[in-house]
Amino acid sequence: MSKMRLLDGSEAIAEAAIMAGMKFYAGYPIAPATELLEYFAAKLPTAGGVCINADTEIEAVNMALGAAQVGARAATGSCGQGLALKQEAIAEAALNETPLVVFNMARNQQDYFQATRGGGWGDYHTVTLAPKDLHEAVEHTHLAFHIADKYRVPVIFMGDNLIARTQMGTSLPVPELDPLPPKDWALDGKMGGTGKSRWIWTFGGGKAGNPGLGPDGYWRQIAEKFEHIARQEMRHEQGFCEDAETVVVAFGSGGKYVEYVVRELREEGYKVGYFRPITLWPFPGPALEAATRNARNIFVFELNAGQMIQDVMLSVEGRHRIKSIGGVSFDDSGLNIGPMMDARIIRERILAQLNGEPIRQLPISGMGAYL
Amino acid sequence: MELKLFVSGIGGQGVQLIGKTIALAALTEGRHVMLAGEYGGHMRGGSSVVAVVIGLEPVRALPNLPEAEMAIALSHSYWEKVSTRLKSGSLILAEETIAAELPNDGGHRIVSVPAISLGVQAGNRLAASMAMMGAFSELTGAVSPEALAEAMIEQLPPYRRQHAPTNQTAIQLGVNCAREHYGSRVHPAPYLAELAA
Repeated sequence: MSKMRLLDGSEAIAEAAIMAGMKFYAGYPIAPATELLEYFAAKLPTAGGVCINADTEIEAVNMALGAAQVGARAATGSCGQGLALKQEAIAEAALNETPLVVFNMARNQQDYFQATRGGGWGDYHTVTLAPKDLHEAVEHTHLAFHIADKYRVPVIFMGDNLIARTQMGTSLPVPELDPLPPKDWALDGKMGGTGKSRWIWTFGGGKAGNPGLGPDGYWRQIAEKFEHIARQEMRHEQGFCEDAETVVVAFGSGGKYVEYVVRELREEGYKVGYFRPITLWPFPGPALEAATRNARNIFVFELNAGQMIQDVMLSVEGRHRIKSIGGVSFDDSGLNIGPMMDARIIRERILAQLNGEPIRQLPISGMGAYL
Repeated sequence: MELKLFVSGIGGQGVQLIGKTIALAALTEGRHVMLAGEYGGHMRGGSSVVAVVIGLEPVRALPNLPEAEMAIALSHSYWEKVSTRLKSGSLILAEETIAAELPNDGGHRIVSVPAISLGVQAGNRLAASMAMMGAFSELTGAVSPEALAEAMIEQLPPYRRQHAPTNQTAIQLGVNCAREHYGSRVHPAPYLAELAA
């Protein structure tokens, strides 16, 4: 095993991205994605790459889009609020088939719809990987670039500020991934004669001698590609579901917390299990359906007003008592995850639902400390 | 079995430094570690808490620890952020000047360490955090004083290298003080038994 280093999540992700061959990163500072930008600024140039602190989020994502279109592994990043600004370019990347990695170091979990439904125009999805901790974040960084290149699609890496700032000992392992096709579609900057395309655009147009599919044919092809990806790339983790009467569903760091609480409750004799979608899109619906076949209750824990719960409902088609045990929870400083991400609170809420008791609401912390 | 430790105090006392040094020392000794700071904004005088987890296997504990069985207290301010999460019978290393003010409501073993005095004795009051780590090393066996010294030196920026000998002395004074007053490994790190087996 190579030497272990004590790294925070941002640094581990940055190191993994550089090891994955990322050559271009552009971003605009915002907590908790700023550290990622800082590490890239410090380390990417010596690794033969370029890091740009752009003037805006929109500039940054379009710079990354351009770098990706000449065949470089390229990425941009922000938190969900910044990703809101990047939506048009992400949709462009999906429709013009550009492999682009987007790091979302989220402030809580109100980014689920944004990541899985997309905010741009067209029939596209963004493959979204939601690691539960630093170790999985390192693996997912490699995987994000791999999936982006494999299908020529944008991929969202959904981290959060717990992952960004928690330090762990890691040897930065590189996962074994299948070989990828050559990037023979990449722009080469020449105006003609090379046989390669001179432009990449979203309308399926070609050249005089090769007119292309046009929007109708091209967009059908794109939609079919996403259907194919949906079948191929679903990932999940589950535990204790075989005989569980109650399955608790959560993603990202929330999944790690739920797993912890479920193990605790299991030791006390409760018939509970956990299910964690690793890909938020494609949502592992068939696996969830199978995992909850013997269960009566499905509880959904997410730090938002109820977003993933829709995918849960679509997956199991009303056979269960489905309840949210999460809610909006935001740390007002923006420097911490919401206070609901707490094993004791999750435990209390699972037990309350099981006993048919009301869920205790958390007090609003207020801005007082920061004004 | 994982060792779970909280270090608590006021921003500027070296709380985060203690956490990082212990974590780095454990890492150099081949352990798996997690280090998670808890602070709302990095401000001097505000609450500062850090959680350190050390184990023989990849860490399974959560970043904001729901519970721990060891704590280092440099101040009694903000102590409630930690005390509500300590299992009964925890080991608490408390700075001598505030030890009496820590409420002991969980049958904890509170060990008073004259860390500031030891720091002064070593040559710098600010080396109190080093003395505290020395005492922690002696009482728990979680990390060796040598690994702590190595981790301390690794973190010193070049313009602060002159403090290394003082820090090293303070670590040793903490070790000696704990041994003399309380004995070695009175609250052994949970993984020591596994290592011995």
